[in-house]
Amino acid sequence: MTDAPGAMIQVNGLTRRYGPRTVLRDVSFDVAAGEIVSVVGPSGCGKTTLLRSIAGLAPPSEGTVCIAGREVTGPPEGVAVVFQHFGLFPWKTVFGNVAYGLTVAGVRRKEAEQRVRQLISLVGLDGFEKSYPYQLSGGMQQRAGLARALAIEPQVLIMDEPFASLDAQTRDLLQLELLRIWEQRPAAMVFVTHSIDEAVLMGDRIVILGGRPGHVRDIVDVGIGRPRDRSVLDSERFRVVRDHVWTTVMQSPAGLDRPEGAQAPAGDRHQAGSRKEQG
Amino acid sequence: MSVPAREPATAARPAPRSLRAAGGRPRDPGGGPSRRYGPGTAVTVRVIAAVVILALWQFTASAFAPAYIPRPSRTLAQIPAVLGDQQFLSGTASTLLAVLEGLVIAAVIGTAAGLVMGRLRDVDRLLRLYVNSFYAMPIVALVPLLTVWFGYTPTARLAIIVIEATLPIVFNVAEGVRAASAGDGQGGYEDVARAFRAPWWRVWTGVALPACLPSLLAGLDLAIGRALIGAVVAEFIAGLNGIGYYILFNVRSFHQDDALVAVGVLVAFALLLRALINLAVRRGLPWYQPSVRGEQA
Repeated sequence: MTDAPGAMIQVNGLTRRYGPRTVLRDVSFDVAAGEIVSVVGPSGCGKTTLLRSIAGLAPPSEGTVCIAGREVTGPPEGVAVVFQHFGLFPWKTVFGNVAYGLTVAGVRRKEAEQRVRQLISLVGLDGFEKSYPYQLSGGMQQRAGLARALAIEPQVLIMDEPFASLDAQTRDLLQLELLRIWEQRPAAMVFVTHSIDEAVLMGDRIVILGGRPGHVRDIVDVGIGRPRDRSVLDSERFRVVRDHVWTTVMQSPAGLDRPEGAQAPAGDRHQAGSRKEQG
Repeated sequence: MSVPAREPATAARPAPRSLRAAGGRPRDPGGGPSRRYGPGTAVTVRVIAAVVILALWQFTASAFAPAYIPRPSRTLAQIPAVLGDQQFLSGTASTLLAVLEGLVIAAVIGTAAGLVMGRLRDVDRLLRLYVNSFYAMPIVALVPLLTVWFGYTPTARLAIIVIEATLPIVFNVAEGVRAASAGDGQGGYEDVARAFRAPWWRVWTGVALPACLPSLLAGLDLAIGRALIGAVVAEFIAGLNGIGYYILFNVRSFHQDDALVAVGVLVAFALLLRALINLAVRRGLPWYQPSVRGEQA
């Protein structure tokens, strides 16, 4: 990839090593403002490490990540993360959690309160402002996680397998809702997922990573217009792109790198494994 | 614009807040005997159990034991006399106040040390072995040393209480903080805070501190028993005025019933403190549920 000067996120030759082990090798791609780029790949290919580097939580061993033209050296402004396991603070209510980024940024109380209420309503959690995370279902917790990310009005949204720990129906529902919300507030988004279907449904482009060490195998243009809804899943283009991505992922050396694809049974076991590997 | 927050076929809907406002906390379903029997029945069952045990004791002692073995009838009869005894009251007050004082000091030191150990890996590496070994060893072995250093004074007793009580708190708090900031970006609250650009002090006050509260209270719960052991043993060895010494003195002067009443008072005090901790968890940490620990930490 050549770096487009206007790109919101530029990943240039990103390499990440943990001790003697290389997790990511020379990963490069970019994300334009208002573009969604999905990232798929087998377990342990360094997806989470990639996200942590973009979010400024793990410095690259080599290469750079730039956001809005500025090199990332720590968690950058205007970047929000949605975590796989929601990452809601259990000691804060939904309201307190959604307000967290604003509190840290020092936004005035009145303004913050108003914005938080809007967002809680946007993600459909009206009436649950005072609930604690343990009182919510997984889907509702992730709605709160999404609202918390959106509250800081990010230019960049980083989604770390946000729906992977939800049941299938909730996942389908939240995918479409995320698309709806994104239409209203388009931000550059990196969307990491285990699910190839999800990658195609969400992304304008798909970065396919191969494993051990993680590297870019291919970058695919999805070429499906927006706004998108469920009917996309039945389109010819969707099928073509999905099959291409599937084939590319499957080309990884057999065995260790077995992909976890669209129809893989509820991924919890695999994720637990991959988390360990990614350390 | 907004959509209903109803997810199909997901976990149980949260207990409506109105329920809690009406006085009831949402409890885990089927939890506790009170759910099955109702509070009145539970009390009745416990009273019956106590009566049965005391009757067995009474019967066994009077049928088989020599006369100097205490029987509940005599011990119970002795309660008013002991509770009205000025010497008993002043001794008990002195011991229990020392235990409370020691617990407060231990909570402060233990929380601070636990936070530092849980957050700073180097400090943890340095101290972990020693904290663990001290936690495992019988601290009362130090009492003779402490009486040399502090003399046969209440200070020696306080020192032993503080040492006894601090260790489980340090241990628990450090463990709790470590779990909360397990930094793999998935479920680690520290990462979440950092991703939202929280400065370092916010990670301490806003993440480590609240995250350690449940473990602090769990540690305190363990500390109560250890603090009482320390206090009583210190009094035994150093001959300090207090409830421990009262017990020792009365046993040696053939007033076993008085000694047993004092033991009962110690039990009651321990139960009271633990009940207070329980209350603090329920009232002070409304967000804390066993499930929180299981799923998130």
